[in-house]
Amino acid sequence: MDVFWTTLSAALAIAIPALATAWAQSRIGPAAAATLAEKPELSTTVIIMLAIPETMVILGFVVAMMIMLRGGA
Amino acid sequence: MIVEMAKLRILGPRRLLTPTLLQLQDLGVFHLARVAEQGSLAPSALSLRQLRLRRQLHRMDADLAAAQTALHCPPIRARPASIPSLVGLPAVARLAHRVRREAEALAAQLLALGEERALLLKYKDAFLAFGPLLRPDAARAGLRAYYAVVLASQTSLVPKVRALLAQVIGDGFELRSRPLPGGDTALLILAPASTSTRVEELLGESGVAEMPVPRGYEAPTLSEALPRMMERLALIPAERDQALSTARSLRDQHATALALGTAIVEDALAELAALELSGVTERAFVLEGWVPRRLTETVMRGIAGSPDAPISVTQIERGLWADEAVPVVLRNPRIFRPFELLIGLLPLPRYGSIDPTPFTAVFFPMFFGLMVGDIGYGLMLAALAFLLHRGSAPDSRRRAIAEIATACALFSTVFGVLFGELFGNLGHDWFGMHPILLDREHQMKVFLILVIGLGTVHVLLGLLLGVINAFRHSRREALGRSLSMVVVVLIIAALLAALRTLPHALLTPIVIVILALFPILVAVEGLVAPVELLSTLGTILSYARIMALGTASVMLALVANRLGGAFGSALVGIVFALLFHLVNFALGLFSPTIHALRLHYVEFFGRFYSPGGAEYRPFGHGPHSAHRAA
Repeated sequence: MDVFWTTLSAALAIAIPALATAWAQSRIGPAAAATLAEKPELSTTVIIMLAIPETMVILGFVVAMMIMLRGGA
Repeated sequence: MIVEMAKLRILGPRRLLTPTLLQLQDLGVFHLARVAEQGSLAPSALSLRQLRLRRQLHRMDADLAAAQTALHCPPIRARPASIPSLVGLPAVARLAHRVRREAEALAAQLLALGEERALLLKYKDAFLAFGPLLRPDAARAGLRAYYAVVLASQTSLVPKVRALLAQVIGDGFELRSRPLPGGDTALLILAPASTSTRVEELLGESGVAEMPVPRGYEAPTLSEALPRMMERLALIPAERDQALSTARSLRDQHATALALGTAIVEDALAELAALELSGVTERAFVLEGWVPRRLTETVMRGIAGSPDAPISVTQIERGLWADEAVPVVLRNPRIFRPFELLIGLLPLPRYGSIDPTPFTAVFFPMFFGLMVGDIGYGLMLAALAFLLHRGSAPDSRRRAIAEIATACALFSTVFGVLFGELFGNLGHDWFGMHPILLDREHQMKVFLILVIGLGTVHVLLGLLLGVINAFRHSRREALGRSLSMVVVVLIIAALLAALRTLPHALLTPIVIVILALFPILVAVEGLVAPVELLSTLGTILSYARIMALGTASVMLALVANRLGGAFGSALVGIVFALLFHLVNFALGLFSPTIHALRLHYVEFFGRFYSPGGAEYRPFGHGPHSAHRAA
């Protein structure tokens, strides 16, 4: 049972930030495309803006990994 | 590093202004600045003749660009070494106007032929289908022919139309259909001419549109128009070849002249722009601008007056121009220079601040290598870099990308050796490779500690550079930044002591020092200081992405190998594994690049980078000369 809860916790730790990241990027993507159509020189800013929400899922991954390691799953 | 600049002032008799500008243009190193109005010294205004000349030059520039675009002229790298005489301008104007007119007429003809061919090709399928159905004698028999194409998605309309026609005009009609290659259906309806109104209404109500006869092929019936259209279709390729041949000969004849004309026009425009930047009195002229300090002597020697009218070139004290928008030139050792491309994606650093190129050249490929960390992928990237390097011009963007890719490939391969990875675990399985530094598959915690440690070093380096940067401008700001850095170091030390990585006995003294420093920090930096501290600590955690992407990369490689081995056929397994590795390699190019860039632009540069430098645009020959900026 412990393995079940550990695995579920780890899965949620990455799944929820992944959904949040996907939602954030879905909002940034169209805005970025529109920005690049008008000002291609802002490509660097756009790339950074797109990469910023990925921090959530990356930290989620780290937390998930810590849960798995500490839980011994 | 940012090249040290010197600001020069050139003074001379007014009649020598133009010759002096021409000498400066030939030198090609002097970045002109607008001379400020002062007493009798006023900015030089262009005469009416010069303003008219500038309008004409812009028109010529547009004509030349349009002609070169229409003829697809290749870019000419070599430009004339000296300023061409303005005497040649009328000839250039005439040539540009004539060639533009001819080139655009040819381009329009080619476009029209292409469109006509595309339209006729649409009818070709219908013609082939209608061929057996065409009834040229229909009109003579008192019949009217209707030709239509029913879309593939609406083929059910054919029996519906047949039934409606039978209902409206009885048996006195004929409906034939043929399938077209694309799935559509060609339809021919022959009906008495007396029933044409009812038939047309019926077709309209059914949603079946008659095939219109294209413009230029008007004929009483499609049966007469179609053969003419097909004859025309056969003639178009020859006409197109003829137009292309004419365009090619026009390009061969005039490409060099057009390029030379462009150089003449650009130089003339640059001269006029430079004139506007100069200052004049009744008898004298003044020019001001920047040059890299090492080229000061070149300018001083290059500007020659005459014995009766000497020209004075003097250096302006730095204190008088330190706050101006000084142009910035980055100059780094050869090994770091390609990474100036990554710095160029941001606004240039302010003059007098720190150029981050050398640090980026070290850390960017290191972070990339830590994320990819595989000998196989490193070698694939090296091969890609080699292909990019081949045929690239020195100092070109492509060459810089190839060299950055080479550095990334080198670090990926080195870390691949340290992690014992060759396409995941194939190195272990085939060649008995073992991790030297750590096993990324199993020692994730160690990997995480390693990258957080690296992040700490990177951020602390950024803070240190921030202190150095601030020290050059404001001692108080430098003190605040130094205190912030010390507190960050102490907090990290306290965390390590709490985790017993450092002696636990150090924890209490460190915390006391932090508490003592905190009020001083707030007094110097303001209330924003605690927020900055938290932000810095969060920034260090952001380096966990290196571990996350690295682990994802190795896991994908392992999955590729395991799935490859799961197939019954060895060949299918190898092909599948290769494809999966190729996907992982493609992912391994984009994600690590973007995240390594982000770690630099946001986490590292955020601690010290001061944008705001102006681009160095020396007055010279060519498209980057001063008139573009003016």
